[in-house]
Formats: sequence, structure tokens, C-alpha cells
Amino acid sequence: MTQTDTISSEQEDLRLLRESARTLFERAGGSGRARKLRDAGGGFDAEMVRELAEAGVFGVAVPEEQGGLGMGLAAGGVIAEEAGRVIAPEPVVLTIGLSLGLLRRLCPEHPKMAQLIGGEASLAVAWQERGPGGAPADATCRYADGRLTGNKAWVVGAAGSEGFLVVAEQDGGPVLVLAEATADGVVIGKRAQADGSSLGELSFSGTPAAELASGDAVQAALAEAVADATALAAAELVGLSECAFEITLEYIKTREQFDKPIGSFQVIQHRAVDLNVMCEVAQAGVREVLALMDRETDQKVRAQLASRAKARAVTAAKRITRDAVQLHGAVGYTDEFDIGLYLNRSLVLSAWLGDDAYHRRIWFDAREAEGAAQ
Amino acid sequence: MTDWNAMSDAEFRKEVRQFFEAEYPEELRHLPHRPKFAEIEHWHRKLHAKGWVAPAWPAEYGGMGLNAAKLLIFYEEQQRWGVNRGRDMGVQMVGPLIIKFGTQEQKDYWLPRILSCEDIWCQGYSEPGAGSDLANLRTRAEIDGGDFVINGQKIWTTMAHDATHIFMLVRTDPDAPKKQQGISFLLAPMDQPGVEVRTITTLSGETEFCEVFFDNARTPSENLVGELNKGWTMAKALLSFERIFIGSPSLAQNALGQLESFARGRGAFDDPVFRDRFAQAALDVEDHAALYARFADQLKRGETLGADVSMLKIWVTECFQRITELMIEAAGPDGGTIGPLQVGNVSVDVLASFYKARPATIYGGSNEIQRNILSKAVLGLPG
Repeated sequence: MTQTDTISSEQEDLRLLRESARTLFERAGGSGRARKLRDAGGGFDAEMVRELAEAGVFGVAVPEEQGGLGMGLAAGGVIAEEAGRVIAPEPVVLTIGLSLGLLRRLCPEHPKMAQLIGGEASLAVAWQERGPGGAPADATCRYADGRLTGNKAWVVGAAGSEGFLVVAEQDGGPVLVLAEATADGVVIGKRAQADGSSLGELSFSGTPAAELASGDAVQAALAEAVADATALAAAELVGLSECAFEITLEYIKTREQFDKPIGSFQVIQHRAVDLNVMCEVAQAGVREVLALMDRETDQKVRAQLASRAKARAVTAAKRITRDAVQLHGAVGYTDEFDIGLYLNRSLVLSAWLGDDAYHRRIWFDAREAEGAAQ
Repeated sequence: MTDWNAMSDAEFRKEVRQFFEAEYPEELRHLPHRPKFAEIEHWHRKLHAKGWVAPAWPAEYGGMGLNAAKLLIFYEEQQRWGVNRGRDMGVQMVGPLIIKFGTQEQKDYWLPRILSCEDIWCQGYSEPGAGSDLANLRTRAEIDGGDFVINGQKIWTTMAHDATHIFMLVRTDPDAPKKQQGISFLLAPMDQPGVEVRTITTLSGETEFCEVFFDNARTPSENLVGELNKGWTMAKALLSFERIFIGSPSLAQNALGQLESFARGRGAFDDPVFRDRFAQAALDVEDHAALYARFADQLKRGETLGADVSMLKIWVTECFQRITELMIEAAGPDGGTIGPLQVGNVSVDVLASFYKARPATIYGGSNEIQRNILSKAVLGLPG
């Protein structure tokens, strides 16, 4: 097989994966499903999680020898884009990028791996804390004698999780522990987010937890998993932006004023073109990043690539969702029209793991550091 | 004869790169202006001897016969090393048209003269009343005996003052029902009493554009290429590759490189606002390159490019302009100064870059026209 053949067969695999993910999400009710779940009080659909698991979605980037499909982040990106298109609230990027990203690097034998891949469990990752720095190295949440004490913030997916993967401090070094959500001394605070989901504020006091890994490996695996999740969140925003654009395009073709579709006015047309170009650039950039990350082993380079992806995706999503509301006119400001759901979801995904300005800074600093090293 | 297409991409790239690096004169690298032929004649002779003047032409006509993939590599290397494209209107525009639509006699006569630069061509398309609305052109050509007699005016004719021949779109049937009909493609010699060339001084003080006036100028009727009144369709048929080329990342990438060394020398990176704007521009260039690669892959697979390729040109030319604005910003009080500015061991002509970026959003179909095309042909918007 030549190199070209390999590349095109990989492309074909990704195309098939995209088709099956799209069918699955559409059949389940598309973006209408997201609205129903939101109106029912947030959270996600456990049945949908199982269906996604059956399609191999969660293990897509897990190596085959660890029970996954071994298709890499590029395939994870395909799933994330499709989830973004229907603004699915299920923990797709959280599981593929963060939870499994940590477990497969630190303890691939752990039974939770199979449960996550099989859609039988969902684990949120608690790695950030409020306060100075917010970096995992500054963790004040302490683990000693099998018990966890301290606070964790910005825990995505905390509300629907059976347990938490917590990055804590133990004897001056990092440790990864697993705490069940129902364990003693766990208080789960929830902060409502724009899309109907909630962000967890966790408090542990003497909570029993099992140690999974400790030492520098935890730090390294966390950095890798955060980079993976960041790039995948970018892919989710790309899918979201694309669909928000398509909805808007359809709207300006049908909405009539002055006896004409508003999409026949040049100022609207040029704006639509700009959004379309923005979308295509974001899609090309983010997909390229994911493919590059699959081939790259240097953690610093991977993190820089992830920042490039998130910076681009947030820039595009911001512009597209805001302009989408404007192009809808007054109805764009109502809850009744779906475009608002896309705007709200974009706010949440943009803030998660760093927005565009943040990632441009990280990207630039990494570029400078690389330049200085050469 | 070498079958370049049989080589691997990497081998071919190496071969092209080595030739440019070894043979291209250092003082002509990244020329900031369009050269007259005399300035680059020496290089052209080398290229001609090597058989590399016309990379896209089929080998039977003296070209390299490159497929789309190899052609992109050739141009990428050319741009990377700052190799001037030379006076390539003949090779890029007239040659392919004659090859596709010309008679055997036209091929035998004109093609070798294009390759050797015995004839140097300029393009007579735009007119004062036919810019973005090119089909509105009015320059007339009427048959008189064995000649066409040409009357009218062309404008923005690049380097007409250094050309021996002009290829032009002329109106041969003013009564055609649609303005796109009744246009023909004609070749004409410049050196005759009925042709007058005046240079146009641009904002940057250069004189590469011209006006060309035709007052009963003549060209033999055998210089009609293709069928009478079919010139519009023919000219459009050739634009597919041009459309990706005009959207290639190189202009913006080169400008970004210049901006970086200049800004570093000037200490502009100490300013966090500047750092962010630089990062934006750099990421705009990187992600554009990813989109460019997607279209290039399409070409490499042998697919025809759709109208959506225009988005490359819109993005990259506007990005190019933003980069040159950042150069001016980094120049501070020197931002209005003509000529190269020295910082450390680099010298950057900030205003030259700025001026060079201005017409990029105008030529090759203004960006507004490109947006019109995309909105209708790609997004399917009405009206």
C-alpha cells in the first residue's frame, strides 16, 4: 500500500464514522432533543449515551489494545463536530478527551475504562481550583490516608457523573484519585450555565477516594488530556458553527421583507459569505490540528496546536452565532427559534478550557519559547 | 525527456528547489516591483535552456507537462525562494488558450515565440467602463479585408510599455442579445501607429500599469483565436487554476515573516496588544494554509475546483492587508517613511508592502465581486 492509499483509506474511515454519528444524532431528534433536555431541567440522556457507546464513540481515540477503536483524535474530532451540530448535551468531549484521556495514560487496566467506553458510567474531571494560579500544580485539595479534603471548581459534567477523577496534592506531589459522587463528605454545588447545563463546584471533607496514580506522570497526563479535550472542544464548536450558519442561511432564503427574501440583499449576502468563509477556515484549521496532534509526540507542540484550534474555533463561533442572531432579526432574540440554543451553547463551549484571547496568548508564548530554544 | 509526474512529490520538490537555489540570481530574489524583461532576461535564458519556462504546458508544446500536484509544488518552491514569475502573461494566459482553442498554424507560430520571449505579452481585458463588470467592454474590432481594425481603450494593462504583443477581448458583435456574447479573443502587435501606450503612476510611485489606446490599429484576421464571438467563454474556461493560485498563502506568509523580524527589532512585542494582534494574524495565515491545502488536495485528486475556491482569495488578501497595517503600526513615527527601514540586520520596506497589499483585494475580481459569486454560486442566495 502506498502512502496515498493509506491516507485515503483513513479519510474513508472518517467519512463513514461521520455518517453513522450524524445518522445517530439526527434519528434521536437532532437539536430538538437538546431543547427538550434543557426544558426538562438540564442534564443528558442516559439512553443516548448507551447508543453512542454502542457505536464506539467514546473509545474512538483509545488504542485498540486498551479496548478502543484506535482511530485517534482526528476521529474524536469527527464525533465532536457531529455532537456540536445538534448541540448534544452528552459528555462526548469530556469523556473522549478528559476522562479517558487521563485514564488511558495513567491506568489503562482500571475497570472504569471499560465502563466509560461502554457508556455505563460517566466521570467528570475535577482538576481546577479557584484562587491564585488555578494551575494543577497549585492544588490545595489534599489527599492523605485514603481521604480527600478541599475544593474543586469549574467541573463540567459534574451533575450527571457517578464519580469524579480528582487531581489533588499528596506529600507535595500530584495524585489522581477517584471519588464516588455519593461518598461521604461530598457537596456538589451547581452553577447554571447559558445552555441549561451546570458547572460543578465540588467540596470534599474527608471523602473516601481511591488512588489511581501519583507523581509527575499525573501532571504530564493531565496536560496531554487537557490538550486533547481543548482541541476536541474546538471541533465541537466547528460543528456548532456550521449548523448555526446553515440554519441562518435557510432563514435568509425564506424570510421575506419588501416583497423579497432578505437573502437577496447584497449586504446580507456579503455577510453570509463572510460567515461561510469563517466556518470553512475554522473547519480546515481545526481538522488539520487534530491530524497533526495524532502524529506529534512532543507535549509542548501538541498543547500549542490545541491552542491554535481553540483560538480559531472560538473566534469563528463567536462571530457566527452573534451574526446569526442579527440576521434572524427580532425572532433571533426569542427562545422559540433554535438559533438561540446555538448561541447559548457556544458561550459555554467557548468559556470551557479557555477562550480565543486566552489561547492566542498561550499559543504566542509557546511560539516564543520555541523560538528562544532554537 | 523527463517524466516529472512519475517522480515522487518529495523528489520533484528537491529537484526544483536545487535548481532555483543554485541558479536564481540572489539580487533578483523577492523583487519588490515587476521587472522589465531586460532585467530578468539572463534568468529567462537559463530557464528556457532548462525547458522550464512553461511548467503547465504539455510536453509536446515545449512545456514540462506537470500535473496539478507537481505544478503546485513548482509554484510553491518558486514563491518560497522569491523567484520572480518573469513576464509570464504569454505562458500563463495566451499559450494555454492557443493550445486549447488555436489552429495548428497558430500553435506552430506563436508557442515557440512565447517560450523564448521573442514575443512578450500583455493582457488587454479591463477597460475604463469594464472592470468588475468585464463583459461590458466596448473596444471594437471590425473586419476590413484580411485584417481586424481595432478602436477603443484598454486600462490596467500590466507592463504594456514593455510588451511586443497584446491579447485582448474585443467586441465583434455589438448587436448580440447578451453582452457576454459578441466578444472575441484577438492577438495584436503593439508596435504600430494605431497603438499608443501611456503608463499610469500608482500610489506607490510605480508605473507597471498602463492605458492602451487603439485608433484604427490593425491585426491580421488569422490572429483571431477560437471562434468569432466566443471569446468570453474561452477566457473563462482558463481560470480554474488561476483561482487557486491567486488565493495561495505565499504573499501573506512572506509579509508575516517580514512583520515578525521588523516588529522584533523594533521591540513591538513588548506590547501585549501588539502580541495579540500578531498572534491573530499569524493564526489567520496558518489556518488559511490549511484551507488552501484542502483545495490543493482536490486538484491533486484530479477534481475540478468549484466556485468556492474564491474564498481563499478573499481571506488571504484581507489578511495580507492586516499584516501590512501591523507593519506600519510597528514602525511608529516611521510609518510614513518611503524606502527600506533598517532594524538590526534586516531591512523592511514597510510602505512598499503596504502599497503592494492594496490592489490585492481589487485585482482578479474584486473581493466584493468574489462575495457576489460565492453568495450565488455556493450559498444559492437569490437575486
